[in-house]
Amino acid sequence: MNRLGQQEARPSQMISSPPEEDSALVAAVLRKDRKATAEFVALYADDLYRYLRSRLAPVYDQVEDLVHEVFLAAWESLPGYQGSGPLRAWVMGIARHKVEDYYRARLRAPESIEDGDQEPIAPASTSDFHQLLEKDELRKNTWRVMGSLPEQYRMALIWRYWERASAREMALKTGKTEKAIERLLARARAEFRERWNRVQSS
Amino acid sequence: MKRIADRVELTQLELAPARLKAKVYSALMLKQAEGGPLLSLTETRACGHKLCVFEELVRITPMGEAAKSLNICRVCHARVLAEHMENAPIYWSGCPYVELKNS
Repeated sequence: MNRLGQQEARPSQMISSPPEEDSALVAAVLRKDRKATAEFVALYADDLYRYLRSRLAPVYDQVEDLVHEVFLAAWESLPGYQGSGPLRAWVMGIARHKVEDYYRARLRAPESIEDGDQEPIAPASTSDFHQLLEKDELRKNTWRVMGSLPEQYRMALIWRYWERASAREMALKTGKTEKAIERLLARARAEFRERWNRVQSS
Repeated sequence: MKRIADRVELTQLELAPARLKAKVYSALMLKQAEGGPLLSLTETRACGHKLCVFEELVRITPMGEAAKSLNICRVCHARVLAEHMENAPIYWSGCPYVELKNS
């Protein structure tokens, strides 16, 4: 797939396009140019999929629905795209909001950590899991521990430390108090630390 | 925790499944068609895009632009195959579903 009709292939890697190309693509999609719309999907589907998978890991059953939702939301909001930043960042911003909505819904639910002693949720296969990881030990262990945490702990940690939301923001978005979020984060960190030590010593 | 988050990126390496791309594209086309006619195939070609063999057939058929602005992929077997198979047996040059499969 290429930019607006040129014939050569273009990798759909996370490379931002020049602003004029972004604006041309947006204009073409808004004109309901079917080929430009296909290009829009081809350009961002892989980035979105990877990002959403990483934020929902290790439970992936909602990832495809979220990719779908992000694209539909992007199409609806496209007339508002000003071209002041890369289109890729704009699309990923929508994805970030969708992830926040997802976390918010999950964290709003009454806290249930009875699965705290459960075995790590295994992805489809061990080899699949290994493919997710870089060879780096730290990354591997982080994934292993994150995958074994109760969902609310995992989401709270990703939201706070990888998405860099403040406890205050998280509180506002979930309707909980800041104190409650801080307590949740403290428990999540403690649980992470305990499991981390267990993984290290095993 | 902050140190770990700084050093470990959670992003994964998987590519989006081709059938997901096909479904997303179909959903966007449906949405666009709901709001009125698509850019006609005549104009699409004039923009420099390659049309698939079926689109080209519709484009050269002597009928009004309104008919050429329909979402004809809706009735194409390539769409059905692409939405349901990861490696759909579709190969027509210019077909958006083929392009998505190969992207």
